[in-house]
Amino acid sequence: MGRYLLSRAWQSLLTLFAVVVLVFLGIRALPGDPARALAGEDSSPSALKAIRHEYGLDRPLPVQFWKYIEQLLHGNLGVSINTGSSVDSMLATALPVTFELTALAMLIASLIGIGTGVLAAVRRGKPVEWFANGFALIGLSVPHFWLGLLAILYLSVGAGLFPASGFVSIWSSPLDNLHHIILPAVILGTGLSAVLMRQTRSAMVDALSADYVRTAKAKGLPWRTVITRHALRNSLIVVVTVAGLQLGELISGAVVTEQIFSLPGFGKLTIDSVFRRDYPVIQAVVLVTATAYIVINFLVDLLYSVIDPRVRVAGKDS
Amino acid sequence: MTTAIPVAAATTLRTRGRRARIIRRLGRNPLALISITVLLIAVLVAVSANWVAPDSASATDLAHTFSPPGTAGHLLGTDDLGRDILSRIMFGVRASLEVAFLAVLTSLVIGVPLGLIAGYYRGADSVISRIADVLLSFPFLILAVGLAAIRGASLSNAAVAIGIAQIPGVLRLVRSDTLRLKSLDYVAAALVDGASDRWVLLRHILPNATSVILVQATVALPAAILGEAVLSFLGLGIQPPQPSLGTMLSAAQEFAARAPWAAVFPGVAIMLLALAFNIFGDSLRDALDPKGSR
Amino acid sequence: MTRRPSASFPSRRSGKGGAAAVAVGLLAAVTGCSSVGPQAAQSSSSGGASGAASDSYGTSATSSQVKSGGTLTFALSSDLDMLDPTLSRSLYSRYVFDSMCQKLYDVNAKTNVVPQLATAMPKISDGGKTVTITIRSGVKFSDGTAFNASAVKATIERNLNLVGTARKTELGPISSVDAPNATTVVVHLKQPFAPLTAALADRAGMIMSPAAIQKYGKNFAQHPSCVGPFKLQQRVPGSSITLVRDPNFYDSSKVHFDKIVYRIITDPNVRSANLLSGDAEVADTLSTDSVVSLQSNPKITVLRSQSLGYQGVTFNIGNANGVGNPPKALTTPAASKAAVREALEYSINRPLLIKSVFNNLYSPACSPIPTKSPFSQPVDQQCAPYDPAKSKKLLAQAGVKTPFRLDMLVSNTPDTLRMVQALQSMVKAGGFDLNIQPVEYTTLLNLEDQGKFTALQLGWSGRVDPDANLTNFVGTQGSQNVSGYSNPKVDTLLNRAQTTNDLSTRKSLYGQVVQITRSDAPIVYLYRQSNLTGIASTIKGVQTFPDGVVRVAFAGFSK
Repeated sequence: MGRYLLSRAWQSLLTLFAVVVLVFLGIRALPGDPARALAGEDSSPSALKAIRHEYGLDRPLPVQFWKYIEQLLHGNLGVSINTGSSVDSMLATALPVTFELTALAMLIASLIGIGTGVLAAVRRGKPVEWFANGFALIGLSVPHFWLGLLAILYLSVGAGLFPASGFVSIWSSPLDNLHHIILPAVILGTGLSAVLMRQTRSAMVDALSADYVRTAKAKGLPWRTVITRHALRNSLIVVVTVAGLQLGELISGAVVTEQIFSLPGFGKLTIDSVFRRDYPVIQAVVLVTATAYIVINFLVDLLYSVIDPRVRVAGKDS
Repeated sequence: MTTAIPVAAATTLRTRGRRARIIRRLGRNPLALISITVLLIAVLVAVSANWVAPDSASATDLAHTFSPPGTAGHLLGTDDLGRDILSRIMFGVRASLEVAFLAVLTSLVIGVPLGLIAGYYRGADSVISRIADVLLSFPFLILAVGLAAIRGASLSNAAVAIGIAQIPGVLRLVRSDTLRLKSLDYVAAALVDGASDRWVLLRHILPNATSVILVQATVALPAAILGEAVLSFLGLGIQPPQPSLGTMLSAAQEFAARAPWAAVFPGVAIMLLALAFNIFGDSLRDALDPKGSR
Repeated sequence: MTRRPSASFPSRRSGKGGAAAVAVGLLAAVTGCSSVGPQAAQSSSSGGASGAASDSYGTSATSSQVKSGGTLTFALSSDLDMLDPTLSRSLYSRYVFDSMCQKLYDVNAKTNVVPQLATAMPKISDGGKTVTITIRSGVKFSDGTAFNASAVKATIERNLNLVGTARKTELGPISSVDAPNATTVVVHLKQPFAPLTAALADRAGMIMSPAAIQKYGKNFAQHPSCVGPFKLQQRVPGSSITLVRDPNFYDSSKVHFDKIVYRIITDPNVRSANLLSGDAEVADTLSTDSVVSLQSNPKITVLRSQSLGYQGVTFNIGNANGVGNPPKALTTPAASKAAVREALEYSINRPLLIKSVFNNLYSPACSPIPTKSPFSQPVDQQCAPYDPAKSKKLLAQAGVKTPFRLDMLVSNTPDTLRMVQALQSMVKAGGFDLNIQPVEYTTLLNLEDQGKFTALQLGWSGRVDPDANLTNFVGTQGSQNVSGYSNPKVDTLLNRAQTTNDLSTRKSLYGQVVQITRSDAPIVYLYRQSNLTGIASTIKGVQTFPDGVVRVAFAGFSK
């Protein structure tokens, strides 16, 4: 296990480094210049030169890269070219918003998805299954940014049930916070709940026909116990994997959701920084996403081994 | 070498019989039939939009903006520039389908060979899987913005961006299927008989992996349609004045309160298209499933 | 309800907030709206090309109308760059600065420059080379430091010398600054520079505490200290800026709010939604579309003032090697034949464009001189009539085949795209096949600088002094001369206008430039945006003048 962990960590670092290099070079290869974006109207060749100098953009690439890595190793993400404030502080305000949004979306999706998935599997061939399947199919097919648009149009602006946008920190008012974030979270969770539902259903169907479940049933265990203790427990392995892998998807979805609901989160930061070519912020944003992805994958594997100890062996040779 | 031929022939034979069975199964599934009909209509509309659409997609009529649905000559109403929404949806469906097919094609053309290689050669596996990891841990939108910035936002670039994002999925599926097939007896037998790696990969593994690839494609198509919508919505995909369902939504949201139809219909079109693909994919998967109940 | 990312630019050159949504039939709503009070009628000028609806700038509040205290929430349309008057480049920073950094001079509703921290208009002597400014006494910066002539000197010198300063060109050819006594500042110029006064009525005239400059240097933005009704309490980049009342302010009896919170909300629809829900009391840069519903709401007042800027189509005439390099005439028809460019003038139906896309809330423009400026004369604002036949004739004269394909770069924000699509269908009749090439805004700026375009659609936010709307854009050496336009006659006229302090002389000189550039047509002007500000009726005393700055510092909750 220790060796496995070590090699995993090493691989992860390698992946991260590749991402860092790729992004560093990639964004500098893009047309568009952060100095020009910052200068906006007041651009003159001398002003641009001054800005480039100020942010070290006029130095040779290897020097810039070395500076960046050096900073990174000191845990410093740099200073935003656009706002002049530290990238750390920008992330510190943006990340909690996105974390809350995705966590809540994940929670909602799990409740709905796993719940309906189990129901559909247990009540095979009944209207419940049809309903659940239909829901899942639509959930998979509907563009969720459009759903968000309609929700704002009819639920927020039309019916006045929710604020159309904006964010209130959970620390300043938990209730207000929930009121602001619940609609975006539900919208973001829809697609995911469909995926989870389908995975749960098929895993449950498989599990219910497996020998050990039949044995448990034959032993006279109550049906409810069989389902929750045995079938569901085993199905959860699949579900957890899928949920974990969907997190990347979820983060992408969050970008769009945050745009629609004007949530000052990580997604907005990403989009804004890319459009402004704010190099330090883009680099940080990608680094965070990549790290999150790697950590989540790792956690999924760990969870796996907690749910199913056999995986550890299998994990070794994969 | 020659001994390998009967095995291959047997494979083809088996495939042919299977194909008939699959089609039979699909034909018995009403949902599959509905979805196929919807898709056929969509393709038909897309191909013949130039002739079928009541109006050109870009003909503005500044005197008749925001006509509600049902207005004479404009079944689904007009938008902010007085353009016929139905016509724009027709052309938009064409764009969506083009992007979706192009994207999936891109992902298959790159993902399938890489998956085969990764699954077949252990040495290549670690490298390819790492690359997939890097790709996966890279925010899709940044990739899309990058492409749009370098080569200009356009239909084909949106398709490429979506296709690239879909590569890891294809790659992983094909890789694991290759791993599975490689361990099967007849492949081992072919190898013992001295068949070359290429022969085995192309004649034995690839044909048998087609069902997995097919199912993946049916999942990827609706995903690509939604992807196009998102990219165009963010201004990274198809660019106006070229009509696309995503750009229509992007433009419509500004005045959604006044002209909800302009925001509703293109969204419905996207949903129907994706739904039809998803249902078809499900039906196909059921039909392909050897354990299938029917 | 979202806005696409590029719309969150603090830029005024993009179509952002500019080419906003249309509202058919709004005209009636605006003119019939009771919220446009008598003040509006007064301040709206009748000169030249103006929209059908009238402007409304808002009125100042008296202490008897408003109560003391409370927090104002301002839905601000764009995040700012640095809160440092020397380094700041984003337009919207001026909105926040208005509450925290007073200037030597200010601009009033009639776009005249008036004293603010200065006590009188500057005395100009020595043939325009010496400018003497007297300033207030007994004034303190927010950090308690005394405001005096040497503080002004320190600020101007910082504006001239700090690395990365955005103010240097605005201030002109200053050779030195003296502070002979505590209330007198003397600016020495190498040559007369008329636009200086207007510059001192903008960011270049915001005086910073010398102690803060000394202490924080380039990090002044993190701890700004000026003379102002409010001072910075906290800034969360991308999210909010909080100001609190400054007890050191010299005129604090006129300040009513305890706090002002600028919440950055980039989406215009969301800004109006916040206004309607009461989550914000003031919102700037409303979309022309949302103004419809806001106008009909008794709880909201909409202020409207025609901006000093313009939106237009810039042709690439001689920008072959990038801005900053000497122009070199290009050979494409659109570059080499003025008739082609002039033809575009005649193929644009400006009133229809304004009506159908901006619901008459904006105004036609065909000159860089703002209609609302004291420098404007009626002839400046006389647009070419819509005449597609003449356009075709001009194209034929130029010897090009019709339909003439014109590639035009545009920023890919929905608002801009909307406007140019309307334009595209409009100019067809005049023989143009307008080929829209949408690119991301940042990319557009680069392509523009590099000269990689035939035509492009951008605008300029505008300044009080016409020099800032002209010299940089059509002067051969202009830093914004992306057209690569070069006409010695224009250069001479611009230089004369710059070095003359007499208003009527300058007015006529600029008039001549307008006439020449109209037939050379490096830029075809399209329309002038309006500053549209929404205010909750619980608030009194908010004002927006043509300069666009939303003045909230002396407003308050009504009694």
